[in-house]
Order: sequence, then C-alpha cells, then structure tokens
Amino acid sequence: MRYIKILCVLLLTFTATAGILFEVPRLPILNETIRVLYFHVPMWFTMIFLLLLSSVNAYRFISTKNIKYDLISYNYAHVGVYFGVLGILTGMVWANYTWGTFWTNDPKLNGSAIGLLIYFGYFILRNSIEDESKKAKVSSVYSVFAFSMLIPLIFILPRLTDSLHPGNGGNPGFNVYDLNSQLRIVFYPAVIGFICLGLWIADVKHKLLKITNKR
Amino acid sequence: MISKIFAILYKDFKIEINQSHLFFSVGLYVISSIYIIYISYQPTGILSLEHWVSIFWVIILFSSISAVSKSFFQESGNRNYYYYYVLSPDELIFSKLIYNFLFIVFVTFLTFIIFSFLLGNFIYSFSFFLSLLLVGALSISNCLTLISAIGHQVKNNSILISVLSFPVIIPILLLLIRLSKISSSEFSWNLIQDDFYLLILLNIILVAMTKILFGYLWRN
Repeated sequence: MRYIKILCVLLLTFTATAGILFEVPRLPILNETIRVLYFHVPMWFTMIFLLLLSSVNAYRFISTKNIKYDLISYNYAHVGVYFGVLGILTGMVWANYTWGTFWTNDPKLNGSAIGLLIYFGYFILRNSIEDESKKAKVSSVYSVFAFSMLIPLIFILPRLTDSLHPGNGGNPGFNVYDLNSQLRIVFYPAVIGFICLGLWIADVKHKLLKITNKR
Repeated sequence: MISKIFAILYKDFKIEINQSHLFFSVGLYVISSIYIIYISYQPTGILSLEHWVSIFWVIILFSSISAVSKSFFQESGNRNYYYYYVLSPDELIFSKLIYNFLFIVFVTFLTFIIFSFLLGNFIYSFSFFLSLLLVGALSISNCLTLISAIGHQVKNNSILISVLSFPVIIPILLLLIRLSKISSSEFSWNLIQDDFYLLILLNIILVAMTKILFGYLWRN
C-alpha cells in the first residue's frame, strides 16, 4: 500500500504540472480544452477499475460467505461512483466549451449516466435491508448481475452507433491521441495516478468502516 | 429435471387460473394505460413513428414489471421451504423464466393488438416485427426474473423491483426500440444484423448470470 501512495503522489504531481504546462497539439474547436483528456478520461478508467474490483469482491463474498468481502465490495463501489460523478462533471464542463451544451443525447453519455443509476439502485437496495447477512447476500448478487450489464452498455452499445464523443469517428479531436506521443507522456501516468488515488481512498474508507463496525 | 420444470409450470398455471384476478388485472392495466395514451393524443392521434414505438415499448415495460413482480410474491413462505427440499435452484429458476416469458408474450401481443387498434399501425414488415416481439418478451423476462427474485428477498417492496430493473433493462429497451423503428420500412437483414446479434448476446449473458446467481440467492 505504501508504494501505491508514493506512486500516486508522484504521478499526480506530474500530471497536475505537466498537464497544464506541457505543449499540446493545436486543433480547431478543441484548442486548449484538449487538456481535459488528462483529467476526464482517467476518471472513467478509475471508475471501471474500482467497479470491477467491487464486483469481483461481491462474487468472492457469495462464493465464500465471508462478510469481509462484502464490505470491501461496498467500499470499492462507493469510491467508484465518486469517480464516475467526477467524470460526468469534468465531461460536462468540456462539452459546454466544445459542443456548446452541457448535455446531449449521445450513446456514451447515456451509457455512463445509466451506469451510475445502476449503482444508485445498489445503494438503495443496501439501505432497504436491515439484516446484515441478507443485505450482503442480496446486494452482492445484484452487484454482479448489474455489472455484467454495465459492460455491454459502456463498451459495446456506443460502438454500434455514431457518436459525437471523441474516440469513435465523427469528431476528429481525440483520434489524434492515438498517434500523438506528447499527449501520451502525460495521459498514461495520469491514468495510473488516478487509479492509485482511488485505491488509496478506498483503503482509508475501509479502515474507517472497520473501526465504526467494531464500536 | 425437465419433468420437474413442467410440474412447477403446471402448478403455476393452475394457480393463475384459480386466482384469475391477477391475470386480468395486468390485462386491464395494459388496456387502461393505452386508453390514456389514446385520449391524450386526441384529436390527431399519433403521427410519427418515434412516438408510436417509444410509447409502445414503455407500456410493455411497465406492464411486464407489474406482471413479473408478482411471480415470486405469490409463493407463500411455507411453500418455499417445501421447494427447498424437493427442487434444485436451477429447476425453479428455469420454470420461472419460462412462466414469465409466456406471461410477457401475452402482455406484448395484447398491447400490440389494442395499440394498433386504437392508435394506428406504423409497422411495415410484419413477420419481422412479430418475431421481434417474441425476442423482446424473451429478453425482458430474462432481465426481470432475477430482479424479482431479489425483490422477493426484500419484504413487500414492489417499488424496489422497478427501481432496480430500470437501469438493467435500458440497454435491451434501446435495442428493441431501434429495431422496431427499422421494421417500419422494408425488411433487410443487413440493417438489423448488428443489433440483433447484440440482443442475442445480451440474452445469453442474462440467462447465464441468472442461472449462476440464483443458486446463491436462494439458499438461506
């Protein structure tokens, strides 16, 4: 865990400075907003990573019946949803400057919004059950089931339709980042840095939860 | 295994016939909601395909949620203990899947008949649309069965079933609406094959997850 913390601090310091100061390609419409790549896209990477960990732990709970895994799974889902909300907010700010509106009907946007709804449903389900072991069992089952539907929603459905969002045709903007090494130098460290941050937050939350449960 | 599945199905249908008010209440739900749409679209009626398709599937979604949510509730507590000794979870869940499928097929076809009677018909390629209704009923039942089993664990909380099922069912509904819009013009396999394969894939995922997870959910 300590190495993750050190890596997180180093990489995020690098991202924050280099992401704002380094040279970026000049593209029409996008201009300087291309820098949102360093802060918006890693949020989604982190969210997917944490939700994957959450559903893996949920499956470990239902196969071992060890309540420890259920707490871990809940924790990761919680932190993952924070990152998802941040991802939507950073995306909305960017969209306001490039598309001229905060929200449009776009398959990627819909997918991410629905994905967050799934996890809000998960939290409601958890809060509506009193019995601890039943809560753990039912919500783990729902978490695994919902995550298996999240994958086609986010990764397959948007690829089948035209999307305004960078990354699949239409807008020339970020297709460049596949080629441009200047962006890559900051982008990959940013992804790893934010994932480490997510793990760190989840670790702190987990310790806190363990203490409050003991008392 | 198959004989047991049919035995439960037979029992479910017997209960359904004895308590026919449940069956008719879902039918009445469909009819009255379509009638509300019919009145609110007066005097012109529905003019565009987009409205027709989206309202059609939304009505099917809501009536199937109310139809499926009772499929586990009608089992009393004692009967569940009895099942626990006699059946394996796979047998129970597959019988519920088939039962819900048949029920939702009834709901979709009833909706289609009354909807096209009152609000006109925008569908051109009929055979494709009818098979789409069957596939749609299959996908909705696959999606809702596990959710209703989850909702059954949370005592008398039928609103929770709808909250939990909305986000999970949206990808399926998106595909169904897109395919139905295509069926208003001449049928061509090239237009639909991507979406259709994806729908089949989603169904396979749903059935597999339902089979795996229900075993864990059922054991107390």
